[in-house]
Amino acid sequence: MNLFLQSKVPNFWAQPFNSQGIWMGVLGGLLVGILIFLGLMFMPAQFRRPVVAFCTFIGGAYWVLLYIFPAPIDLQKTEMPTGPVESIGKWLTDANPVVVSISGTVTAFMLGLGIFSLLSIHLKRISRRQKDWAYSVILLVSLVSMAFFGYADYISRQGPDGTKLDLQANWGFVNYGRDLLFDGLLQQMDAAMFSVIAFYILSAAYRAFRIRSIEATILLSTALLVILSLMGAVAFVWNDAVKNMANGNDFLMNFQLTEIAGWIRRTFETSSLRGIAFGVGIGALAMGLRIWLSLERTGGGA
Amino acid sequence: MLIAEAVGQQYRETGWFGVLFTAILVSFLLINIQRAKMGKNLYIRRIAGLNAIDEAIGRATEMGRPVLMVPGLSDNVNAIAVQAINIFAYVSRLAARFANPILLCCYNAAVFTLAQEVIRDVYQEEGLLDRFDPDSVRFVSDRQFAFAAGVSGLILREQTAATFFLGEFYAEALIFAETANSIGAIQVASSTEATQTPFFIAACDYVLIGDEFYAASAYLTRQPVLVGSLVGQDWSKLLVIALILFGTIFNTITVQSKTTKAWDDDNGVYKDVSERQSDPKQSFIQQLATPFLPKMEVERPKDPEAEASSK
Repeated sequence: MNLFLQSKVPNFWAQPFNSQGIWMGVLGGLLVGILIFLGLMFMPAQFRRPVVAFCTFIGGAYWVLLYIFPAPIDLQKTEMPTGPVESIGKWLTDANPVVVSISGTVTAFMLGLGIFSLLSIHLKRISRRQKDWAYSVILLVSLVSMAFFGYADYISRQGPDGTKLDLQANWGFVNYGRDLLFDGLLQQMDAAMFSVIAFYILSAAYRAFRIRSIEATILLSTALLVILSLMGAVAFVWNDAVKNMANGNDFLMNFQLTEIAGWIRRTFETSSLRGIAFGVGIGALAMGLRIWLSLERTGGGA
Repeated sequence: MLIAEAVGQQYRETGWFGVLFTAILVSFLLINIQRAKMGKNLYIRRIAGLNAIDEAIGRATEMGRPVLMVPGLSDNVNAIAVQAINIFAYVSRLAARFANPILLCCYNAAVFTLAQEVIRDVYQEEGLLDRFDPDSVRFVSDRQFAFAAGVSGLILREQTAATFFLGEFYAEALIFAETANSIGAIQVASSTEATQTPFFIAACDYVLIGDEFYAASAYLTRQPVLVGSLVGQDWSKLLVIALILFGTIFNTITVQSKTTKAWDDDNGVYKDVSERQSDPKQSFIQQLATPFLPKMEVERPKDPEAEASSK
């Protein structure tokens, strides 16, 4: 019997919010997760690899199917799929947010491991009074205070009175605390780090543009032309001079600064970047295929 | 109209050509992996940036200072992060043999977990698990500039002798590269983001450009699967080049074959001149890749439950 031939397919993925079905799904998922986790822990090492390979294949197969299996055309929420192809397509499409949530949930657990790593390194450094241990204290205090004020601020904004906090006059201690830590400190420090790049560009450009070889000379000349073309006053004067000299000659008009810079960008820069993009894309495809089919042996055996 | 286009939304937007082309690329990869597994000797060209890895680790060992590795700013475990960790596994293996300290800084917690497992396995395979320091693989921050500040601080405090920046890098690329340069560390870098590659070229000693990054594990380990895959990638690139040439020639012919009458002042007659297509979407190649078929109405039964709940 083909289940997908039913006029209305019971949709496992699109359970209504807070329904019994969705809670059963959550509990079932949790149970299956714990079983897989325990199974992998106690499984002999030689069986672990095929299980991981199987899970990887199933996970990857979903995305491949989503990419190649025909998705229903303009299917509205109030409409039912017309046949088996549309039903399978709808099933796959509906599963998308759930599959994305699964990877999000796994990532959230990983974040816990990341924080554990941070705590482990810095608590050890503080307890042993290692070099620069004071920075570790600052880091841990920042971690805890940002988590506290961030979460307390979020909680205070929930509920019917949450919108009142859009006005600063209604703020309390936690809202001011979050504002000071996030907008007052973190954002500003981010901006400061970003602005440091300007100075680094200068020092890196100085080294790169020193005339040491033919390549460096070409690089210097092209960079100079492009930089000058972006300087309005220089470009205006240059272009004006060329226009006067060209006196209507179409060929000479090509030597306007903006034309030369545009030609460099269109002809060399765009084509080079596209060439690199093709190579990177094909490389990513090959890597993805090797991971999906578990052909990749990690560990960099030498 | 093809069946796929009649029933599938994605085929109406991007056509069947993308799927066919991907299938051809995948077949190239699988064929070459099989060839390599059968013992066929496949050639890989020399890549200077990868030859420099041994030199960088040797230098770090001589100086007795750590090797720092950063697998980029991938938001999750993706192909780029896995490839970077594969290369770092090779670096860590050499460092483990020479009892050289390592530091691997992660931006993403999932990448951190994977990296820690892989690096521990490397030390275990080498029989040097006692040399593995779990804190050598660390999660720094998942905020771009906090991560940049953290890694830069580590580079300066630990005075790393060699640094490897391989993966997805954005604006922080130059901060890392210049900080490492300021302490005289030997640097091998690669960014899959083409916009950051020039910064690495300006500031680093060796740069892997574009797909050289993906060639690294094949080049370093010479595993048949990886070498075969690399040759498959080269075949795929040849196909892309052939397609570009075909598209250029075909488009030129299409444009030149369309003519219109234009008045010739010199001779006082109308003559045929080639007509440039005003809309590039009209070209054959463009329609092959992105057909954008007109909207199609499909008669479907209504779902009474869904209708009731939507009201």
